Amino acid sequence: MLKITNLHARVEEKEILKGINLIINPGEVHAIMGPNGSGKSTLASILAGRSDYEVTEGSVEFLGKELLELDPEERAAEGLFLAFQYPVEIPGVTNTYFLRSAVNSIRKYHGQDDISAKDFLALVKEKANMMELDATMLSRSVNESFSGGEKKRNEIFQMAVLDPKMCVLDETDSGLDIDALKIVANGVNALRGPDRSHLVITHYQRLLDYIVPDFVHVLIEGRIVKSGGKELALELEEKGYDFIKEELLAGA
Amino acid sequence: MAVHTPPQTDQFVELQANSKALLEGISPSYFSELREAAIREYTEFGLPTVRDEEFKYLPLHVLREGKYRFGFGAHFERSQLSTLTLADTDAFSFVFVNGQFAPEASSFENLPDGLEVSTFEDADPAVLTQHLSKIASLKGRLGSTNDERFVALNTAFLGEGLVIQVSKNKTIERPIHILNVVSSDDAEFVAPRLLITVGENAEATVIESFETSTGRAFTCPVTEIRLEKSARLEHIKFQNESLDSVHIANIAVHQEEQSVFTSTNVNFGGHSARNDINVWLNGEYTETWLNGANVATGTQVIDNHTRLDHAMPNCQSFEVYKTILKDQSEGVFNGKIFVYEDAQKTDAKQTNQAILLSPTATMNTKPQLEIFADDVKCTHGATIGQLREDAMFYLRARGIEKSKAEALLVYAFAAEVIEKIGPHDVRASLEAALFTKLA
Repeated sequence: MLKITNLHARVEEKEILKGINLIINPGEVHAIMGPNGSGKSTLASILAGRSDYEVTEGSVEFLGKELLELDPEERAAEGLFLAFQYPVEIPGVTNTYFLRSAVNSIRKYHGQDDISAKDFLALVKEKANMMELDATMLSRSVNESFSGGEKKRNEIFQMAVLDPKMCVLDETDSGLDIDALKIVANGVNALRGPDRSHLVITHYQRLLDYIVPDFVHVLIEGRIVKSGGKELALELEEKGYDFIKEELLAGA
Repeated sequence: MAVHTPPQTDQFVELQANSKALLEGISPSYFSELREAAIREYTEFGLPTVRDEEFKYLPLHVLREGKYRFGFGAHFERSQLSTLTLADTDAFSFVFVNGQFAPEASSFENLPDGLEVSTFEDADPAVLTQHLSKIASLKGRLGSTNDERFVALNTAFLGEGLVIQVSKNKTIERPIHILNVVSSDDAEFVAPRLLITVGENAEATVIESFETSTGRAFTCPVTEIRLEKSARLEHIKFQNESLDSVHIANIAVHQEEQSVFTSTNVNFGGHSARNDINVWLNGEYTETWLNGANVATGTQVIDNHTRLDHAMPNCQSFEVYKTILKDQSEGVFNGKIFVYEDAQKTDAKQTNQAILLSPTATMNTKPQLEIFADDVKCTHGATIGQLREDAMFYLRARGIEKSKAEALLVYAFAAEVIEKIGPHDVRASLEAALFTKLA
């Protein structure tokens, strides 16, 4: 599905990613954990195609294509989805219009006709129910005056509608209370399947109680320093990131 | 006052002289005095040039070079309304064709209790003499460049017009819509006039639309609005005249204490389009919302001047003006806020934003705050620029191609203003018109 090889990236003169290697197979859920400033969100942004970062070395292969050569909209059409840490408010564009444009753009990319109004409505209703989103939200402007929880639920709702192959969740748990967290996790779990992979980026172990990962990676100072199963997350929760830093120092 | 040399010939002075008999025949006799005083005032200034501070960006040579006739007597079929953007609005509608009331095209059956709408001919003379040209007057107010020559020009043709009166404590749920339609073979001069009074604790919504059915015009409307204590009025003005028309509108508002005035001013049409919206805050704890959405294409010039006179303490005003400019078009925004010495605790926010979609489009923007009180909160911000990067990336990350994302954000930029309009059908029609205008 996704193969990241020796990825280096910087913002202006500051090197943030210093050689990331990661392979995600179809159906797998990987979690990347790390302290603030370790490069977690940078990795998510680079995968989605934000232009603020300069990739200096390495490659990312996504379903056999060189991901870094694609525009953001091409990545989305190929099946990559980024759930934003800070979803953007777009006053003046309704959620419905926005989503329909997205669905139709992706269909166009694959040489398909626009979705019918009826099918679109049915799709949107089903997924909104799943995310426990109020239907009136659809006629409101994108994320405008949404609460933090609504914005995050809206991200997973969009993910469900667009039906991607590779889901990247960038600190989707930040700013959520426990009820909202459960709704978000349920949404993500409902989308798990043998053909869809997830990369869950988080600072805290809490989210991983609900979205149980197959693999956990620890990102510190731009490198994956430790990988393991879901028990690694629990260990991190108990001991903090310092124990890994100490291990690294001891090994050095 | 500066000494002005009147232009050698001004066709509108001549037109006024030739229209006197017609105007006398259709209006109360005491109007002739108002007309004569007004034409004298107008003649003192004549048509503005680029040297006149308040009009320096508005090209008006067509008013000198073209030939205009006074637009009464057009033949108009009700079916011609169907081409207009806001024709289907659910409202009590009053149609004026080239400034002349067309009752056969209007529909205002069953006006509710507390709403009175009358033509000047039928209106209470006391109401007219009390307000006409009194609300639309800057005499004795702050400002060194006050320029009311087009109010005077309109008054010089005072004849047909409408008075809307909402009685004390009445809420009129259904909007009142004045459709000003131009229907001509040639170039018409049209001077619509409207007076709105909203009684104490009363509430109403008034829509004024200006659209061209056929031909072109120089439309020079004046709207005077008075809100009594705790009155609430939503005023929507939509200007979509033909692209060879000139439109110069004046809206003057008087607010008594605790009243709320909301204005949405939308301009897509006209070769040279200008609005002056002047609000006088005469009582404490008033609220004023001035919203503007403008789109200019080709060689259009859209010019908005707004003025808020914070004359009393504890009043709030919020202003958001947005302009989208394509091709070689020009936009102008001048936002004056005067805070008088006594107007402590004034809270005034002004924002004006423009998006230039072509390197040959121009925006001239000038916030103008003059503050004579010391305990006030006044902010203003002007941006001329590009589309938001974060929103662009968000749309593209969902699969929307760059050109489409750009178009969507340009639309959203103006739609953000339009979506604040109260009547749902007006909002939907204007959003559709915006979409068409940008296509």
